[in-house]
Amino acid sequence: MTSLNITINGQEIAAESGQTVLEAASVAGIEIPALCHHPALKPIGACRVCLVEIKGQRGLQPACTFPVTRGMAIQTESPKVVEARKFVLELIFSERNHFCMYCEMSGDCELQKLGYRYGLDHWMYPTYTQNFPVDASAKYFLLDHNRCVLCRRCVRACSELAANHTLDLRQRGAMTMLTADMNVDLAQSSCISCGVCLDVCPTGALVDKRSAFLGKDSDCERIASICSQCSIGCGIEIVTRANSVLRIRGLWDAPVNAGVLCKKGRFESLDDDRPRILSPLKRLNGKQLQTDWDDLLQLTAERLAAVAPQHLGLLTTTHATNEALNLLNELFCRHLKVQHVDLLNPVAPGPPSLPKGTLADLSHSDCILVTGTDPVNTHPVAAMLIKRAVDHGAQLIVIEDRESGLTSYADQVLKTSETDQALRLARQAQRSAVVYGNSVSETVFTSLKRLAKAVYVALQPGVNTYAALSLGLHQHIDFASLAVLYVLAGEQHAQLNEVAAKITPETFVVVQTSYASALTERADVVLPMAIWSERSGSLTNTDGIVQKVRAARAPQGQSKPDWEILKMLTEKLGGKPFVLPDDMAHYAGHESFGKENPSWQK
Amino acid sequence: MAKVTIATDWLAACAGCHMSLLDIDERLFPLLEMVEFTSSPVTDLKHPPADGVTVGILTGAISNTHNIEVARRMRSHCQILVAVGDCATFGGIVATRNLVGTDAALKRAYLETESTVAGLIPDSPELGIPLPLVTGVGEVVTVDVFIPGCPPRADDLYFAIGELLAGRVPKVLPPEHLKYD
Repeated sequence: MTSLNITINGQEIAAESGQTVLEAASVAGIEIPALCHHPALKPIGACRVCLVEIKGQRGLQPACTFPVTRGMAIQTESPKVVEARKFVLELIFSERNHFCMYCEMSGDCELQKLGYRYGLDHWMYPTYTQNFPVDASAKYFLLDHNRCVLCRRCVRACSELAANHTLDLRQRGAMTMLTADMNVDLAQSSCISCGVCLDVCPTGALVDKRSAFLGKDSDCERIASICSQCSIGCGIEIVTRANSVLRIRGLWDAPVNAGVLCKKGRFESLDDDRPRILSPLKRLNGKQLQTDWDDLLQLTAERLAAVAPQHLGLLTTTHATNEALNLLNELFCRHLKVQHVDLLNPVAPGPPSLPKGTLADLSHSDCILVTGTDPVNTHPVAAMLIKRAVDHGAQLIVIEDRESGLTSYADQVLKTSETDQALRLARQAQRSAVVYGNSVSETVFTSLKRLAKAVYVALQPGVNTYAALSLGLHQHIDFASLAVLYVLAGEQHAQLNEVAAKITPETFVVVQTSYASALTERADVVLPMAIWSERSGSLTNTDGIVQKVRAARAPQGQSKPDWEILKMLTEKLGGKPFVLPDDMAHYAGHESFGKENPSWQK
Repeated sequence: MAKVTIATDWLAACAGCHMSLLDIDERLFPLLEMVEFTSSPVTDLKHPPADGVTVGILTGAISNTHNIEVARRMRSHCQILVAVGDCATFGGIVATRNLVGTDAALKRAYLETESTVAGLIPDSPELGIPLPLVTGVGEVVTVDVFIPGCPPRADDLYFAIGELLAGRVPKVLPPEHLKYD
């Protein structure tokens, strides 16, 4: 890349070859308005709002697609440019229903902002008369064609970012319409409800149903955090108003996901209607009664102090922060010498001797082998990264005996008995990647380890499984020999009924959880825990990247963050833990995580 | 110095824009030292005086033939015509009728609503005849100042009147006073 000088509005600017006029201006702090352009998407020059005057060029040129050249002289707000821009805006406004007063996006709309900027106070062209359909079939968002300006941001986001290719345009000219697949309702389409189209839509055409009309951006607070629905660790922006979470948006500068999210992270995490546990509970004469924190911690501490290590059990979800998992390790494993420890989810085998790959490696792999995992359903953002690589020409080989969500995208779908064939294909590639999960069969994994040049990317089930494995919390538990069992169930859905069924009647059961379940019914002590949006701390993703999560609202009721409960319990048992989330995030990134002892001081 | 005269009238409107004008609140008193409101839909005198006013304010959309008459009467009786509100500037809420067409809208409103018993579409000769298409005022008469908003804030109207009193006719209101909702 070479530097070259250009002038914008008479100002000398150092641009770089390969940049567009819009990019060069943006770097220099000169804003050229645009509607179809989005920094995360390839420019297409569709809306003509970014037209600029370039000396020597006949007519105005779209800044978003026009490359800079040496000595180029550009005018971004000359009378000619402003006149053309107003003309373009008037045409866009006249095409469909762009009345702001009953639009959800009013105040946040990019088209409205442009109308204000260029002083559009009446219309030169006849008002709209055509009524376009509204597609409200999808569960979490709606598509109002009346507000659509056909900028194709959503179309490009759906293909370039989500690699799902559901959205496109049909018809031509004034008849052009946004469409899902071959013109079906979104609910019937191949849409995976990742919602990345909502984040890029400049108008009120794509609207989040849950938070519609509940607050425009200027009324809301935004907190950057990390999604805790799976082990990928996507950057999210939690939008809140009056201590309520309204919606979740993708963080464009997040290292793992770079803006995209999935249905689980964006929508389902806010759609959990299980009853919350909001006060400390203890069992007295067979009945669960509300009590206070101090009483409950005292009772729990006494039981824990009295039990012999061989009769003490610890079960934990991986839906917990590094801080909480570290405290579990310090308190139970190091201090109480617990003999029975396990996780509430299975784990993918760790290959310490193999070249460890990361999710980022997938984008420059030319051959991806997937086995023992179904990322389309369990780690949708990882599936997007794989499908993106396929769009860029990578070969996808799925080794599964059952059908997986990636089957239809694969070049080869092989049975586990045909692993040798997969190896032959992968050996012809330059940069192959093996993506595997907890269901990988031992024989397949042993064969795949023979690939000399491959990198290995584990998609761990659960959330903070990487940290839980580093701490050695994945072992074995024998329910029959337990006198006291501590379960950090957190927000986990799965496995709770099975665990509750295995607990012997004699066992004293302590459950730290956010939601009522079969396990809380069985429990002798229930410690109410805050959910993901209510606690700060850090999480380690499946690549081993440690990222900070931030609370977006206060814990509901008397619930407390996962690590705070364990900190209080440790103190009751005479320990002096320190768990400043910032320190722990730093510590969790080190190899010594869980092996040294930063949090237990006697 | 003689007071500047202002007349207001409404077309197909909800009266919200006039309410917004009243929302100027206590600032109305010093304003009335300089301005005389000659007529409005909410005063005894409904029509602009025969010898005209300096400023005419119209709110509401052009929806029927009566609206056209009122708009033309105001235009011919004022020096500066101000269209106030989204309906007067763009057609606004009233223009959503265009989506279904006038006939269908009348049928739905007067014959088909769930609460209607033996309905009748009003057709008295005293009434204006609904137009096939709802438009802003600018489609019928020349407008000098457009103030969109649903309704425009009292501050926006106060600002615009202040500009007119200072002898300036704002071509477009500055961004802080230009709002569509």
